[in-house]
Amino acid sequence: MTQIARSTEARGPDFGLYVHIPFCHTKCGYCDFYSVALKDRDTGPLVRSVQRELETRLGRGSFKIRTVFFGGGTPTILPAEQLESVLASVTDSVSPDDLVEFTVEANPATVDDEKTHTLVRGGVTRVSMGAQSFWPEELATLERLHSPEDIAPSVSTLRTGGVDQINLDLIFGIPGQTLATWTASLERAIALEPNHLACYGLTFEPQTPLTAQRNAGRIVPCDENLEADMYLATVEHLASHGYEQYETSSFARPGCRCQHNVLYWRNGPYIGVGPSAAGCFDGRRYKNVADVAGYVRSMQDAGHAEAQVETVTIPMLITEMVMMQLRLVEGLDRADFVRRCQIDPLVQFGDVLERLVAIDKVAVTDDFIKLTPSGRLVADAVIGELTSASPTVERLS
Amino acid sequence: MADLSLIRNFSIVAHIDHGKSTLADRILEHTGVISQREMRAQFLDDMDLEREMGITIKANRATCPYTHDGREYMLNLIDTPGHVDFHYEVSRSLAACEGVLVLVDATQGVQAQTVANTYLAVEADLEIILVINKIDLPAARPEDIALEVEQVLGLDASEAVFTSAKTGAGIDELLAAVVERIPPPAGDPSGKLRALIYDAKPDPHRGVISHTRVFDGGFRRGDSVELVGVGRQFLITEVGKFTPKLGAVESLGAGEVGYFFAGIKTLADVNIGDTVTLAADPTDNPFPGYHPPQQMVFCDFYPGIGTSTEALREAMEKLWLNDSSFTYSTVGSDALGIGFRCGFLGLLHMKIIQERLERENAVSVVQTAPTVTYEIELTTGEVKRIESPSELPDASTMNEIREPFVKVQMIIPADCVGTVMQLAMDRRGKQKKTEYLSTTRVMLTYEMPLCEIIYDFFDKLKTCTRGYGTADYELIGYVVGDMVRMDVLVNGLPVDALSVIVHRDKAAVRGRKLITRLKKEISRHMFEIPLQAAIGSKIIARETIRAFRKDVTAKCYGGDITRKRKLLEKQKEGKRRMKTVGNVAIPQEAFMSILNPDD
Repeated sequence: MTQIARSTEARGPDFGLYVHIPFCHTKCGYCDFYSVALKDRDTGPLVRSVQRELETRLGRGSFKIRTVFFGGGTPTILPAEQLESVLASVTDSVSPDDLVEFTVEANPATVDDEKTHTLVRGGVTRVSMGAQSFWPEELATLERLHSPEDIAPSVSTLRTGGVDQINLDLIFGIPGQTLATWTASLERAIALEPNHLACYGLTFEPQTPLTAQRNAGRIVPCDENLEADMYLATVEHLASHGYEQYETSSFARPGCRCQHNVLYWRNGPYIGVGPSAAGCFDGRRYKNVADVAGYVRSMQDAGHAEAQVETVTIPMLITEMVMMQLRLVEGLDRADFVRRCQIDPLVQFGDVLERLVAIDKVAVTDDFIKLTPSGRLVADAVIGELTSASPTVERLS
Repeated sequence: MADLSLIRNFSIVAHIDHGKSTLADRILEHTGVISQREMRAQFLDDMDLEREMGITIKANRATCPYTHDGREYMLNLIDTPGHVDFHYEVSRSLAACEGVLVLVDATQGVQAQTVANTYLAVEADLEIILVINKIDLPAARPEDIALEVEQVLGLDASEAVFTSAKTGAGIDELLAAVVERIPPPAGDPSGKLRALIYDAKPDPHRGVISHTRVFDGGFRRGDSVELVGVGRQFLITEVGKFTPKLGAVESLGAGEVGYFFAGIKTLADVNIGDTVTLAADPTDNPFPGYHPPQQMVFCDFYPGIGTSTEALREAMEKLWLNDSSFTYSTVGSDALGIGFRCGFLGLLHMKIIQERLERENAVSVVQTAPTVTYEIELTTGEVKRIESPSELPDASTMNEIREPFVKVQMIIPADCVGTVMQLAMDRRGKQKKTEYLSTTRVMLTYEMPLCEIIYDFFDKLKTCTRGYGTADYELIGYVVGDMVRMDVLVNGLPVDALSVIVHRDKAAVRGRKLITRLKKEISRHMFEIPLQAAIGSKIIARETIRAFRKDVTAKCYGGDITRKRKLLEKQKEGKRRMKTVGNVAIPQEAFMSILNPDD
């Protein structure tokens, strides 16, 4: 394996690299990420285009890539040789000294010994597994293909193969779910001893089959109070098992936070590769063409596949920092905000912030502005208030 | 100089949709002033709005030559506004006539406005020709209807003329009746000039066109005339007749109807009802003094989405030059910002002005609930009128509040009497008369507070009479009432735009209704929001908007940032259009729907 030699001196900030592999066996009803069903599709052209984009974007080695995240889709359904090849493209262009975390998303029943071996050999340190639930009915509602029995063997295969960092994704607020079935799923997940858990409240994303079913009255969403109770139970339950909440939906054993995601939540710079992937650095954000064919064609014809580009202005950044950093339990970094937005957040949010503090939704410390436990339940409303605030003084520059 | 005995001046009055415009068309066609080919359908209603709303807003006109028994007559058709909101304008138009055609639909019979308009004609001492129209319709019952009119209005059924304005049937008979029964104008052709301005309209190029009826004397281009009420002199630059287009003539003489231009710049410079006389030789006998339009209904117009206060102000100024019978002045609301408090002759007038503002000026208008004028007698003995709840003085400084009362006449199917009486009673109506027009139709006369009918009374009346009921009202005076101001508090703080003056007995019901609506319009917040209606410090109704418990986006990663940020930006934009009262965001649209009497 060749690696590009690079000096490690000041090469700018820590970057994340995201690679999107848009294939799944089937598309789940709730999912709004760009993905297509694999069927008999030849994934080769896409993989080659992704490799080409990786080369183009990283080739000069000017970025200090600290974290890599392969998402999708289900990257692990790629044939072993393609998976190996694309992982190699990454490690070829990233300095091993820089890299602290290399995550790949997987689904139960898509990893076997051979795939695990490929992953580990390719430099992968962490696997994020979409377990979602340990109840067949709930998995059926979510239109997931795997069965609860697939989860434990997959975790065990990964661990035996040498992946020591494992995350399990779980979903609560599934129609038909009860507090009892949810805590049972949590228990079974904990029993597998992952060092990271992501527990998501089910979201009815626009234009998904699940939302269409709800709109047609075929499924009844979980009651708001029950969902709130599930969320509170999750925080409490996981804390008692040594998983600390560090973000709205993320829980980790000490030292096991997902560095890649933390980078997003700190509004750090990232490079995105693959169809529908987004990247953002130096005040510029791009998003690639979403569909596979279009992406492949663009890469061939134009050498890039950027479909949308925006310049992130300070007002935009203010909104983005509030929206992302308040997700972290630590909260919005006041010094970082002043440095990047050129205004004191206390001035920017003024009366609105004071009001939110008065009603115990937000707390202000010397270094951070953060949600209180009761504020975390209504984070969107709090974020909406803060991002709607208009400062009473002009920005200095 | 025209021979007075060959002139007939008349108007047509009718309930909405009884065929007035079509009849006017037929008269023009039969007298040959306009060919069928030229005839735009319903030529006389030249504003879109009039056609859509089925009413004539501004008086219209035509001079038609007509040969009868070998003599050539000049028939002057003077069109009138069709609704008693325009009571004064109707009365001025009728003052220019010697006769009037009372037009009644042969399928529908007498309706409320038939009654109101006929009374005006009787007051004006005009010869009335009863015309039963739409006899071509299968459901027509012309003889029955004529008898009904005779019973209700005292017009001789045996003298009724039966027409179909649509097919032209009976038009010749009608024109003959106009010549034979309507008296020719009286007047002294050689006397001092005495002419009535019965209407005036702005002209895009030549200032104001004054519609006039000459009673005595005459005038020509170049004459210097005085408008007696205004006390100003003008030089006549053009005299003409309506053909129905403008047709310049040398002069207008006694008994004739036409128009003049005289360098009058704006409608503010001319009063409908004023007397025109020669400056050099003025009449000693002008018409009774100018009666300024009386605004009875008030509401606020605020700029809607995409419209600035300035754009709305310009639109109001422009419209006012075209119709000075509404008033407007700047008003500020804590909740809604800067808008305009407007006064109207009545409810229909209010609706027309709002529609014309939006249609003719491409502005969007949000309108608050209509209110009425109250008379306040202060302890000092001083009497003042207030038009908005915020002007209501402290109870300790008032002797009494008087509210406007109207006489309401409703014509309804007999089987609906019970429901309608209940409705009127709910609105504090006092029954005055019940008259059976036939075995199936009844005319109810009530005295009611105006504030009770401007809310949604006419809609309710339509509903509980299956659409058959019609009603009209006229102001009869101010009556002492136990009125109070009801405030609405959101999260403990009063919202000025939602305060209303209500009768004490009605306050609790209105309060509950308002608060129930408000509850639907305000989205849940992250805290509980009490909504209260109060009279002074006494809470009379209460609701609570419960807080939401969970509102949090489950995941947000690098690829989601732009979309989620845009949602927040949109939300911020939306919040700009909201008013925050007591930390509660109330959408501006919500104010409107709460205040809107229609739902």
